[in-house]
Amino acid sequence: MSKLRALTMPKWGIEMVEGTIAEWKVTAGDRIKKGQVIALIETDKIANDLECEFEGTVARVVADAATVYPVGALLAVLAMEPATATEIEDFVRSFRAAAGSAAAESPGTAAATATAAAPPPTTAAIPKNANISPPARLLAEKLGFGVGQLRGSGRRGRITLQDVDQASKPAAAPAAGKPVSVAVTTAALDVFHASAYAKRLALKHAVDLSRLKGTGPRGRISRADVLKSAATPPAAAASSQSFTIEKFTPMRKVIARQLTLSKSTIPHFYLRMRVRVDALMALRERIRKDGGKPPSVNDYLIRAAALALIDVPQVNIQVHGEEIHRYKHADVAVAVATDRGLITPIVRCADTKPVAQIGSEIRDLAERARAGKLKVEEYAGGSFCVTNLGMFGVDEFDAIINPPQGAILAVGALQRRFVEDAGSVTFANTLKLSLSCDHRAIDGAVGARFLSALRDLIEKPLRLIS
Amino acid sequence: MAKMMLREAINKTIHDEMERDKNIVIMGEDIVGGMGTAGGPEAIGGIWGLTGGLYAKFGANRVIDTPISESCIVGAAAGAALAGKRAIAELMFADFVGVCLDQLYNQMAKFRYMFGGKTKCPVTVRITYGAGMNAAAQHSQAVYSMLTSIPGLKVVMPTTPADAKGLLTTAIRGDDPVMFFEHKTLYGISGEVPDGEYLLPFGNARMTREGNHASIVTCGQLVRAAEKAADALAKDGISCDVIDLRTTSPLDEECILDSVENTGHLIVADESPPRCSLASDIAGLVASKAFAALKAPIEMVTAPHTPVPFARELEKAYLPNAAGIEAAVRRSLAYRH
Repeated sequence: MSKLRALTMPKWGIEMVEGTIAEWKVTAGDRIKKGQVIALIETDKIANDLECEFEGTVARVVADAATVYPVGALLAVLAMEPATATEIEDFVRSFRAAAGSAAAESPGTAAATATAAAPPPTTAAIPKNANISPPARLLAEKLGFGVGQLRGSGRRGRITLQDVDQASKPAAAPAAGKPVSVAVTTAALDVFHASAYAKRLALKHAVDLSRLKGTGPRGRISRADVLKSAATPPAAAASSQSFTIEKFTPMRKVIARQLTLSKSTIPHFYLRMRVRVDALMALRERIRKDGGKPPSVNDYLIRAAALALIDVPQVNIQVHGEEIHRYKHADVAVAVATDRGLITPIVRCADTKPVAQIGSEIRDLAERARAGKLKVEEYAGGSFCVTNLGMFGVDEFDAIINPPQGAILAVGALQRRFVEDAGSVTFANTLKLSLSCDHRAIDGAVGARFLSALRDLIEKPLRLIS
Repeated sequence: MAKMMLREAINKTIHDEMERDKNIVIMGEDIVGGMGTAGGPEAIGGIWGLTGGLYAKFGANRVIDTPISESCIVGAAAGAALAGKRAIAELMFADFVGVCLDQLYNQMAKFRYMFGGKTKCPVTVRITYGAGMNAAAQHSQAVYSMLTSIPGLKVVMPTTPADAKGLLTTAIRGDDPVMFFEHKTLYGISGEVPDGEYLLPFGNARMTREGNHASIVTCGQLVRAAEKAADALAKDGISCDVIDLRTTSPLDEECILDSVENTGHLIVADESPPRCSLASDIAGLVASKAFAALKAPIEMVTAPHTPVPFARELEKAYLPNAAGIEAAVRRSLAYRH
């Protein structure tokens, strides 16, 4: 048994691949007992004490605090018996992470462990006179990637940026499969004045080249000529078909991409609540009696959502990767159905605008959305979205978040319901709301707080018009 | 169809064409072969044995032995063509193209243009080129890249006996100067050759293997190396297009681009050194016209930027080969994203 032992990043649970040293509880030279806490280590789930499993002296602290290390990486060296500086140095240098550990698989570890001992931490790995291009050196240092074993592809073996880039990435699975045929299949078509690929496609799509007139130089049949011919099925076949084929429009492609991304990568959760809108209805009725034209229920809901976003700012966000962008004002998007598809123009700073103005802005945006005349800045961004299918009689529904927005509110149809009110039963005008939240950034309690703030604003609508 | 060697296909095509068209003359160093030796005319039939039987059949007025002067050969052929003849000029070694470069690139290639289209210059310059025969630095070069860069010259490189016939016939019957490159190591290969009239239009590459994973674009003797690489890769489930360019000017861009659009991986194999070469030209073409299709950096498998070595082992190491092409395909497919 060597007199030196490695203290490595522990593996707490099968999901742990790396950890951060929150705090060292020992320094070099400290005498430690079995079971003594050496360091506090944080993972992405927990923070826990790292205890020493044997008695000895801390010979060297290799890893820096507040730095992430893969499981198995060398953190410190413990001496069972007194050891010289050279012995410790040799031990650190020759340390290899256990096979199968994250550190053994991570290309950066060799450099990380070797350099951690020496200040400054990352530059020491690449000697000054190494045959490496400056951008490649920068990249290697940034990645903490040791280039010692790398054979450069540049002039006289110089290591290039691409060499570092490629070596630092995991290898692709080696190609291996069943034998395939690479025989030329188009030999019989050699008589045609057609490109090699045109011939190949002609075989694939069973296109008769003698029927085709080439559009290439000197009447050469091109790939495009064959594909065009292949794409037009004979008329008889078309009429017997029971459906028609329509390609996605660019807008449909954007909708498909955005929502697929949203529904497949964002962990949605849904909170549903029924709210009473009697007070809101009464408010509108009063405006009408005074000879005015009241804003629509939806206009009030946008205003209410905007104020609720200010009340519960944790929902007034965009989510970008591992960042939450918080906004001072509420830019509320409104879902508008058009012939070409869904679009969500935005009422900027809806928290600062009176309901009537919100209403007229929405009508203007919706009109121009249907005419396809929205500018990009009018539908890009926003932190929240309101979508309303109540006018179609839909009772309630759950909506898909429109990233990077943090949440979306789905509004159902106005319903008259029996409710218990001060001991008696009465009819009430109600709406069903469903809030979809991005759980990566918004927790259930926050979403619930938002929804109840929204209910308060709707049920006591004085704030909406003040 | 008849099976013959590439050298026989060239010889027979010249015979056929000279018989068909009395206006054709052929000239070059020692093409009669044996003139002035004990064996007499036709004892050899040219040092590559390509012009045998011509002198006996067509006589000294149409089959002309020239002094050892490339300027003279190409200059005389260009002059004869201007005066109404149809000429075939033979350069025994492509390496000496420098001697007659003025006649080639500043005269022949420019006549039609300089005379406002009122004249033509139907000359086929047959040029023997390439390494692999232990002929040292001054008799082994692949200079087609240099000539491909000159507007006004067509550059042709047959790799099979059938292609030799089809392309040479097109070259001779055409009205423009053609550089017809014949690789030394390909003279001896055999293959079926179509009977009767057989013309192959220029600018039509030949697909010699079909696949979906990578595109190998090459010409000349490396076509066989590329095929060998493709066959080896096919055993591992990797299928490659192998494109024999046939002519580098005009270039069948469409064939190359179509193939790369399909595979996303381009490997160019070129016997000439890499700088300003056919390989870099095709790499540039694909990078500019099929950039979005590329899934990995373009691999260029070329000779190094050095003269062709004499020592057999070094020459072998100098020349790109099947193993190098296969490795390049695997490298391209293993590119890490």
